[in-house]
Amino acid sequence: MQIFPIRAFDPPGDVTRLREQVREIIRQHDHRWTPEERCNPWLKCDARFSRALGDAGLLGLTWPRRYGGQGRSVLERYVVLEELLAHGAPCGCHWIADRQTGPLLLRYGNELLREKYLPGMARGEVFACIGLSEPNAGSDLASVRSQARRTPDGWVLNGQKIWTSNAHECQAMLALVRTDPASERQAGLSQLMIDLDLPGVTIRPIIDMTGEHHFNEVFFDDVLIPFDSLVGTEGEGWKQAMAELAYERSGPERYLSTYMLFVELVDAIGADPPEPVVQLIGRLAAEIWTLRQMSMSTAAKLAAGEDPVIEASIVKDLGNAFEQAMPRLIQAAVDPDLLAGSALERMLAHVLVASPSFSLRGGTPEVLRGIIAKGLGLR
Amino acid sequence: MSESRQLLCEMANGLFSELAEVGFDNAWPRIEEAGFASLLIPEEQGGFGGDWGDAYAVLRIAGRYALSAPLGDAIFAPRLLMEAGIKPPAGLIGLARANGKVGYGRHCGCVILIEDGELRLVEVATSEVVEGYSLAGEPFDHICPGGAPLASAPCAANLIAMGAFALVAQSAGALDAAFQLTLEHVNTRVQFGKALGRFQAVQQAMAEFSVEAAAIDAAGQAMAAALDKGNVLDDGAAFEIAAAKLRANMAIEKCFPIAHRLHGAIGFTIEYALNRYTRRLMAWRGDCGNDAYWAGQLGQHVSKLSGGGFWPEITRRSDAAGSVV
Ligand SMILES: Cc1cc2nc3c(=O)[nH]c(=O)nc-3n(C[C@H](O)[C@H](O)[C@H](O)COP(=O)(O)OP(=O)(O)OC[C@H]3O[C@@H](n4cnc5c(N)ncnc54)[C@H](O)[C@@H]3O)c2cc1C
Repeated sequence: MQIFPIRAFDPPGDVTRLREQVREIIRQHDHRWTPEERCNPWLKCDARFSRALGDAGLLGLTWPRRYGGQGRSVLERYVVLEELLAHGAPCGCHWIADRQTGPLLLRYGNELLREKYLPGMARGEVFACIGLSEPNAGSDLASVRSQARRTPDGWVLNGQKIWTSNAHECQAMLALVRTDPASERQAGLSQLMIDLDLPGVTIRPIIDMTGEHHFNEVFFDDVLIPFDSLVGTEGEGWKQAMAELAYERSGPERYLSTYMLFVELVDAIGADPPEPVVQLIGRLAAEIWTLRQMSMSTAAKLAAGEDPVIEASIVKDLGNAFEQAMPRLIQAAVDPDLLAGSALERMLAHVLVASPSFSLRGGTPEVLRGIIAKGLGLR
Repeated sequence: MSESRQLLCEMANGLFSELAEVGFDNAWPRIEEAGFASLLIPEEQGGFGGDWGDAYAVLRIAGRYALSAPLGDAIFAPRLLMEAGIKPPAGLIGLARANGKVGYGRHCGCVILIEDGELRLVEVATSEVVEGYSLAGEPFDHICPGGAPLASAPCAANLIAMGAFALVAQSAGALDAAFQLTLEHVNTRVQFGKALGRFQAVQQAMAEFSVEAAAIDAAGQAMAAALDKGNVLDDGAAFEIAAAKLRANMAIEKCFPIAHRLHGAIGFTIEYALNRYTRRLMAWRGDCGNDAYWAGQLGQHVSKLSGGGFWPEITRRSDAAGSVV
């Protein structure tokens, strides 16, 4: 048995040119970004930059042209993503729409929803957030309680979502809610696409421990939602949401959130670095290279129509552990006085505090390892 | 997987599983007879015409069965000699580490040493052999050449890197074997009224184990694929070999304790198979470059690239189209 057979990553077309195109756009914007904004960049928002990517045809890259996409391959899209992250480009505004909401609408959404949202998402103007977690539904997502009641005028939604990243920057949320009041657990859940400017929607900031506002509580108080906003099939929300998570877990954002620290570390230490730092750089380089192979290979499997659930969980678990460890290892190895006033000093201060969140979003290590153990036949 | 690699793997699986518990003296003739020495020799020269991916696959299987023979040396030495324009002598040819040590040195007819860009082929019969053992109990002998070399030629190959390639492949196989053994154990051993594998703590440890076994194997396959890009990568995939060996060492560090912890006392016995893998893994972790060696090499290399230079370099290398020359 081979636990992780790798698959060749062969995007069509001129990859070098595609990389250069992305790097060029980044060069036009990067003077505006603070060191903090360049860390954890798929959470940090720069709407202007998102629009620039849309103008360049780099969002919705794989979607059909009639919805504003480019009809290009998912592997080309992977290349664009890794370039953005490896250069610390703040992509928080469009990341979720481009990664999962758009593809989910393409897969399950009705024509009306696709026409309403996809072109704007591809232009980098319409942003979406993920409405899964609730106060009592974290790892145990099937405990979702927010409830949409069918009325003659449409769905009427009551309930609450929490930890919703960038809801305050977004026009819409794709939410998992209970549409069958008598149902329990995985049954009776559905996905609704909710415009966040509807009456009865309240978004309240939650300040995280870095002092920033990026996640939110979102309250629904008798929100009237058109029937057309149902995504996919009523009662199939659980299955659809699980498919959504598969887009989430193996991407380059699972190991590159702190990549800019590595860049700055190499630059900060000068031509003749002390041996412990050389050693650290070597170890980090080996891990980055290995994770990249694993993530690309999983992308290639997804592109080939396979369903690499276990591989995706492996990439996320390993990738998160790596990106979390990096700031601590750098802190342990580098003389802080040498960093005074440098970009690395600021990044490190920020990421040391931000990093605990990396392994929570998108499924905790325990949950991922549970999935892997299931794949091994242990549960 | 290509059809020829599949056939090769089937053959290797069949043979090595039979030789799993067989000592060198009885195993070696069968391995020699199977013709692995010609694996990396082009078909035009009467060889198998295999690539580095094939070599990786076969060595991985050797690790999987804890083969008691230096298969890596047996595969690489003929190729090295061919490239140096030297006709390989009959018998097992060993590759010397920088410190003059050779795995199974006492069993070799000849040994290859490379120093300052010069390859020397020396006879073991005319050398002083100081016998020793690796911590896995495999012969690991010091060979001090006595007479003049049988042949010599300029050679740019890096024997530590070649040895590291073999050890990454073997380690991926051995770690897989240790993993399967542990999985079987936690599925069958009952404590507190249920199989160990039913306890969440054990499940989580098994998941951690499999994640590392995945990492080492992914790194190994990617390393072999990089070598198969031939002359596209100007340095013989030096970066990828270094990264893969270092990552392999890290995986061993994490998994060795998990395998033994989950086995309990039975795993600590000489009869039970686990030690055949874990002792080899521990030996290989220190051989052909330990963590400090490869982290130093990689760290120096990356420091010279500058922070912004690393990403373009690794993407250039992976984007390069494969072309085997
Ligand atoms: C930065 C950030 C952004 C986020 N963005 C979003 C978003 O946009 N939209 C959204 O819907 N959610 C979002 N989340 C929420 C995220 O999905 C949850 O935090 C995550 O699913 C874990 O849920 P929880 O926080 O309630 O922790 P809990 O589920 O309460 O878990 C706490 C601990 O218990 C462990 N645990 C739980 N169950 C088990 C079990 N069965 N066995 C063993 N251990 C267990 C967990 O692994 C964890 O260690 C975000 C979270 C963060 C940190």
